[in-house]
Amino acid sequence: MHAAAWVAWVGMVMALALAITNPLYLGIILLGVVLVAVLAPRTGTGVTSFRALAIFGVAMFGISMVVATINGNYGEHILFTIPGPEVPSWLGGLRLGGPVSAEGLAAAAIRGMAILSILLAFGVFNGAVSPQRVLRSTPAALFQASLVVTVGLTLLPSSIEDLRRVREMRALRGAGGGLRDLPSLVVPAVIGGLERSMRLAEAMEARGYGAAPALPARARLTAAASAPLFIVSAWCWFYEPGWRPFAAVAALAAVACLAYWWRAAARLHHATRLNDEPVPAVDRAAVAFAVGVAALAVGARLTGLGGLTYNPFAGLPMPAFSVGGALIALATAWPAVRLGLRAHAATRAEPETALIEVAP
Amino acid sequence: MTALARLAGVSYRYPGAEALALDGVSLEVATGSYTLLAGPSAGGKSTLLRVFNGLVPQFHGGRLAGHAVVAGLDPARTPSRRMASVAGMVFQEPESQAVTETVEEEIAFGMEQQGIAAGEMRRRIEALLPALGIDHLRYRRLLTLSGGERQRVAIASVLALEPRLLLLDEPTSQLDPAGTEAVLGALDALRSGGDLAILLAEHRLERLLGRVDRVVGVDGGVARAMSPREAAATLAAVPPVCELGRRLGLDPLPLTVDEARSALAGRRLTVRATEPRAPGDELIRVDGLTVAYGEHVALRDVSLSLREGEVIALAGPNGSGKTTLFRALTGLTRPASGEVRFAGTPAPGAVRERTAFAGLVPQDPALALYQESVRDELRDTLRHRGTPRAGVEPALARWGIDHLAGRNPRDVSVGQQQRVALAAMLAHDPRVWLLDEPTRGADGAAKVWLAGRLREHAANGGAAIVATHDMESAARYATRVVVLDRGAVRFDLPARAALGHDGPFPAQAAQLAPDAITVDEVVE
Repeated sequence: MHAAAWVAWVGMVMALALAITNPLYLGIILLGVVLVAVLAPRTGTGVTSFRALAIFGVAMFGISMVVATINGNYGEHILFTIPGPEVPSWLGGLRLGGPVSAEGLAAAAIRGMAILSILLAFGVFNGAVSPQRVLRSTPAALFQASLVVTVGLTLLPSSIEDLRRVREMRALRGAGGGLRDLPSLVVPAVIGGLERSMRLAEAMEARGYGAAPALPARARLTAAASAPLFIVSAWCWFYEPGWRPFAAVAALAAVACLAYWWRAAARLHHATRLNDEPVPAVDRAAVAFAVGVAALAVGARLTGLGGLTYNPFAGLPMPAFSVGGALIALATAWPAVRLGLRAHAATRAEPETALIEVAP
Repeated sequence: MTALARLAGVSYRYPGAEALALDGVSLEVATGSYTLLAGPSAGGKSTLLRVFNGLVPQFHGGRLAGHAVVAGLDPARTPSRRMASVAGMVFQEPESQAVTETVEEEIAFGMEQQGIAAGEMRRRIEALLPALGIDHLRYRRLLTLSGGERQRVAIASVLALEPRLLLLDEPTSQLDPAGTEAVLGALDALRSGGDLAILLAEHRLERLLGRVDRVVGVDGGVARAMSPREAAATLAAVPPVCELGRRLGLDPLPLTVDEARSALAGRRLTVRATEPRAPGDELIRVDGLTVAYGEHVALRDVSLSLREGEVIALAGPNGSGKTTLFRALTGLTRPASGEVRFAGTPAPGAVRERTAFAGLVPQDPALALYQESVRDELRDTLRHRGTPRAGVEPALARWGIDHLAGRNPRDVSVGQQQRVALAAMLAHDPRVWLLDEPTRGADGAAKVWLAGRLREHAANGGAAIVATHDMESAARYATRVVVLDRGAVRFDLPARAALGHDGPFPAQAAQLAPDAITVDEVVE
């Protein structure tokens, strides 16, 4: 799969997981992501492993639940009560302990599922695509920025390696470890990382990667103008229903500003590419599909169609379920179709080991 | 030949530094010439190289006085984007100059920045790959290449911009002998091809004096251009052949072993070799040691013994298991099988206890320094070792760094920092020293000093294992040579047999006077 298709997929998972609060659909999204994770290749040089992100995601889920419990919450279905001090309301309404309701836990679980889906999707993306491949398919306007990010990502593993080596050297000098020795670990590793970055920066400078000429002031101002336009547009859409047509116009104007900046930035960037990895038709279709589904989900969320949202505090009702909504959620699994077909055609992947990684 | 680059009265001081890094340097570089910059570390070689492509002062800051012209451009003012296609630079460490993931992309990176059309990029890549002998590596990932291969990729990626001047800052100091030869051979091939001028800074002159047209001695910021023969006669640290030529008063001075052989034809040289003391009790014994990292077997059934008074030079190509052997000896890595015994008893389990007896100085030991002063670094080690603080001053004196005691270890020169790091790792004076490539990138004086420390330690009843590629230095301190190859011991010979004229690594002195391995042993 092309890097652009992977980027579109991650973007789509994020959009869906944030737009949808219906636990049934979120469950489908989560299953879809796990399915893709099982089938996705692990060939990239992603910095953080899938396993690490998966563990982090599960931990976030757990923390979300624990925080909901400790804070206590509102709701009618009280499960149990944790004794806690009464914090005066002038302290910002912070609560410690108190009644724990099924509604509160359900809300926390919904939040946790969304976070877990997004983190798992990033884990898959990291394993399947190397930062360099993403860089190659970034549009010219974002080239400089993305190069900086990529170089940073490439340096990260060597910094982790430095930390390991410094720790070993401490042991070789007879140090026992422990918190007291923390500076002796961190200081050399940070200095080592800085020196490494300076050497790389020097090597890049020597190879002609100088600062590009600055963007003309007009283009920069236009780009900056898009931000207040977006804010005005969002305000009018959500809080002034009568002004919605104006909001739409403002949003269009903001997009136009960005497009102008994009063209100016792309024209300024004179670099060429050795291998302009063309995006195959299948991947173009995939990107269009992902963008379409994301737009559909956001649209459905804004208009309230399809029952994508769910409010557990309204008496903990049974979540709505419709075929349309389920199909939108199921769309997150589309890479699995392609990967599954390819895996079937080519040599078989190792689903067993992949499954072990999914469940930390 | 015409001058491609000219410096006139160039002086430079790094921002915040007190001393001048370059002091009134005037120099001409001719089109198509091959120049070697030689001299002690921190003498100004790297700084001088960086003047030619404008990194000094454009990247490093500070003010440059004097006048510099490279191919009609002023490097101090020309944007790096333009300078890169006039003067290309290759750095010391292969790892810290790569930007992309694969060989082809790495070579293309600079060209992409210049906006060169894809067709032209392909044409240049096609021409460069065979010129540097890296044709077969085109689609490989950089991480999977050896050091010598990566340096050749770095050279190709710089040459892709078709510069007129190629600058190399100690490009072979991190490489094993095979990698060094491959890089220098590639440079020879480039020279014969056109009018590219090459400026190369290096400490190890053995392979270079016979190759270059001209030597520029750089010391204390002052540069002096001379012929290779003049350099052989005047530089402080020269290869053994030149040293021998000097002592025997040969004129002209030989630069290579072949030249020395014909100059010495008919002369009888006597050798006064000092037999090493008979080794004492066994300090380390390794039996059937096997270490595996996953699928990869790094050490295969290695057996070795080290006795009092012995210094083993541990050689072998990169990746042959030298570092792994040290890791297994100090307990940093658990062996799959085999036994390690210290002074007749099984070695303790903890790294801390093992290194109390056999202290390891890993590569780049300066990474371990973090205290505010050199004295605190040593005190820190002794505190962890539970040895009396009174040991700090004697240790400073032993390692010849008492004059640096109050300085911040990060502010001293690179050579001094190496010495401080050695002292900090070995402050508790363990019986056995394990040194992992301690002379990597070190200058002649530092190598002679370290050889002296090793002999002294062995004479006091200690022992050492030194991993190294530099067999000429090893001849000065080693009593035995052990060679690892793909994780197994290939040779384990007395130094005199290994470095002698019919051994696997004949030292330069041995090729001229069959019974000697160092110049000091040869007398008229």
